[in-house]
Amino acid sequence: MNTRTAAAPAKEAAPEGNGRGSVVRRLLETPEVGVVAACVVVFVALALDKSSFAGAVNLQGMGFDLAQYGLIAIGESLVILTGGIDLSVGALLGTSVILMSWFNVRAGMPPVLAILLTLVIAGLVGMVHGLAVTRLKMAPFVVTLVTYTVAQGVTLAITSGTSITGIGGTFGDLGQTYVAQIPLPLILFVVVAVIAWFFLERTYAGRQVYAVGGNPEAARLAGIRGDRRIVSMYVTSSLLSAFAGIMVLGRMGVGSASGVGVGWELSAIAAAVIGGVSLVGGQGRILGIVAGTVLLELINNGLTTLQINSNYTNIVLGCVLGLAITADRLRARSVARRS
Amino acid sequence: MAGGGDVAACLRDVTKSYGPVKVLDIPRLDLERGQIVAVVGENGAGKSTLMGVLSGTVTPTTGTIEVAGQQLVPGRPDHAQELGVAMVAQEFPLVGQLSVAENLLLGRRPESSGTTLLSRTVFDRRGTRAEAKALLAEVGVTQVDVDRPVERYPVPVRQMIEIAKAWGHHPVVLILDEPTSSLGPVEAERVLALARRHAAAGGAVLFIGHRLDEVQAVADRVVVLRSGALVADLTPAEATEERMIREMVGSELARADLAPPSTVERTTTLSVRGLTADGLGPVDLDVRAGEIVGVAGLMGSGRSRLLHTVMGAQPRTGGEVLLDGAVFHPRHPADAVAAGVGLVPEDRKVQSLLPAHSVRWNVTLATLRRISRHGVLRPRADKEHAAGIVADLGVRLRTQEQPISALSGGNQQKAVFGRWLAAEPRLLLLDEPTRGVDVGAKAEIYALIDAAAQDGLAVLVASSELEELLWICHRIVVMAGGRVVADLPRAEFGKEKIMSAAAGSRTGAGTGPEGKASA
Repeated sequence: MNTRTAAAPAKEAAPEGNGRGSVVRRLLETPEVGVVAACVVVFVALALDKSSFAGAVNLQGMGFDLAQYGLIAIGESLVILTGGIDLSVGALLGTSVILMSWFNVRAGMPPVLAILLTLVIAGLVGMVHGLAVTRLKMAPFVVTLVTYTVAQGVTLAITSGTSITGIGGTFGDLGQTYVAQIPLPLILFVVVAVIAWFFLERTYAGRQVYAVGGNPEAARLAGIRGDRRIVSMYVTSSLLSAFAGIMVLGRMGVGSASGVGVGWELSAIAAAVIGGVSLVGGQGRILGIVAGTVLLELINNGLTTLQINSNYTNIVLGCVLGLAITADRLRARSVARRS
Repeated sequence: MAGGGDVAACLRDVTKSYGPVKVLDIPRLDLERGQIVAVVGENGAGKSTLMGVLSGTVTPTTGTIEVAGQQLVPGRPDHAQELGVAMVAQEFPLVGQLSVAENLLLGRRPESSGTTLLSRTVFDRRGTRAEAKALLAEVGVTQVDVDRPVERYPVPVRQMIEIAKAWGHHPVVLILDEPTSSLGPVEAERVLALARRHAAAGGAVLFIGHRLDEVQAVADRVVVLRSGALVADLTPAEATEERMIREMVGSELARADLAPPSTVERTTTLSVRGLTADGLGPVDLDVRAGEIVGVAGLMGSGRSRLLHTVMGAQPRTGGEVLLDGAVFHPRHPADAVAAGVGLVPEDRKVQSLLPAHSVRWNVTLATLRRISRHGVLRPRADKEHAAGIVADLGVRLRTQEQPISALSGGNQQKAVFGRWLAAEPRLLLLDEPTRGVDVGAKAEIYALIDAAAQDGLAVLVASSELEELLWICHRIVVMAGGRVVADLPRAEFGKEKIMSAAAGSRTGAGTGPEGKASA
């Protein structure tokens, strides 16, 4: 620093009471508190009500689910942070499942090669999204809607509606293995979440992602190449969809043509929003996103455990989403009022 | 009860508190018809709250407000509007995608339309256009196509459109919130004339101003707010600049302790030759290290474009720029930042701030790469770096983690300066560096610019406030129609000289209202 001002007249004293209540206030100003608390409450309530809920088998099952939804929720959130949206995550996951099994079974490739090739294709799709959004200034919603449609079509075209059986054992190793009772996909999800957390909180590129989402023009004029950040987030999102596809394929054991992943993008968006990710971009943290996914999974699974007719599941999930959005709005408003 | 005779609006015991903090406390204030009442005060003094209370956007904690003898239902902007309060806000609530005409008649129908059910339901395009044109002509804006979307016009034109929109409501009380902050001198004068006309026609004007010379020129009465309280009610004769500043800041006086700019001459930092871009140039310009060069000109003269083109934020179509003797051709502002150039843009909210994010994030934005190690940010270094910036610049805040939007305009702007000074640039481009900043913070920002220049920073300042340029610059270049039309050293500074140069290259005479509003 090479500048110094004369002693600034410190007359703009902080108007708010310090000390007392500041811990509470800081907690209230942390957007993720609500979701995490909700997760704990729902888990404890269900565990108390049904002992089978907190049983190892059920927890492991939830772990598998969590990994699938969580991976695409993270990818989705990264895109939302830049101020965009990715509607293709679910459809792309379904297509990845089919592509991998097709490469493996029909084209006779070894599983590893099939996986790599699928990841490359998914990465390219993400790059097309990113370039269309940044270079051609196309609306993210529309761009990814195209992929959403095409990807489902590709799935059908490849399979003609029949599942692909006979995939290599590598997939099962990835999708069904337990490490010390913990499902491998769950561990991989945690690893991805930690990497994403590190990227967003601890790297300058991550900070720039927030800046681009928060105010693209300010970021540009501050010398941030926002386009690169945006493209890389779309690529990451698509890669994570394909990665989640590996877990799904491994778990199911067949390349299912019956609508795997369809509608999952909405769960991913819901998890992000419940976790405090702002749909206008620039706001949200990994902790919240993970908690949002966990909450959705707890509710989903809890309803099954409580043997509530699965036809009602979506009503409950929708209400939770509505509640989350409302709570977030109220919280943001109270913070804005206070400042 | 005050009758509707000559009191247009009166406030009685109006207070507004947010929690324990009282931000406004006005025991009594009458706005008389035929009078322009200017309100001055530092940022956070309660000016915006006062306007909000009067225009119904802020619900007062206690007290009553009467407009034209009728009591205002608190917190009802539509009711205030109905009673005849029209407000020209600093941040324009215009619908960018709609045309100028549609914006001007937003929320009401043209007077020419009939009252049949059909004409009340169907949008009257022709009537709207005609009335919009008439309105614009009335406020003195020419060469604006009423069919073009508002977002295609630059900020100064939008400001004039906003004023025309308020004018179209035929208000009793016209509230102008720093109406000239984004305007050049000619347009500003037009707005002041409009305020006088409104008063002369029997209306009341509440004029919020940062430019004290304007306040002096226009006000029939000057009300000074400090910390929400009404501390002085001055007649035009009493309202000298010194007096107003003294009342505003309390005891300490802001302006006298500013050192005159130094005249150090060093190597040429920026050398621009034949620079052209959309709506700009060709421009030749040199800025030496340690030199503060002002860019004056009417709105639309290319001041901002020059800065943005140098920064690489707007594509260059021709010409050459040398930075410290090396060819400098940024294709993205990132190139410029890497080469040691910084830009403080005109519109703080839209172009500078991440409003929802913390002060820390905002001040470190341009130096993120520098404070990271192999791309990794270390939280402690990050916080210390930000704390250093905030402390050096005297930004007043509760904690560096609070959102920057919670700071006053002056402190936000200091934070933006801090962002760039931390990058230790060789050249700093400033576009309206003190727009929407109170007097006290202004003086501090001038001191910052001065100190940075003393350390060898080359500074190029574009501003629509002539006093500002006359005060801080070593040299002023005047732009008109995208070109530099005059280059004045400090010895030749003079308002008239700059004004006539700015208006000179146009067809109209220097004093005539010919400054046009071209995009």
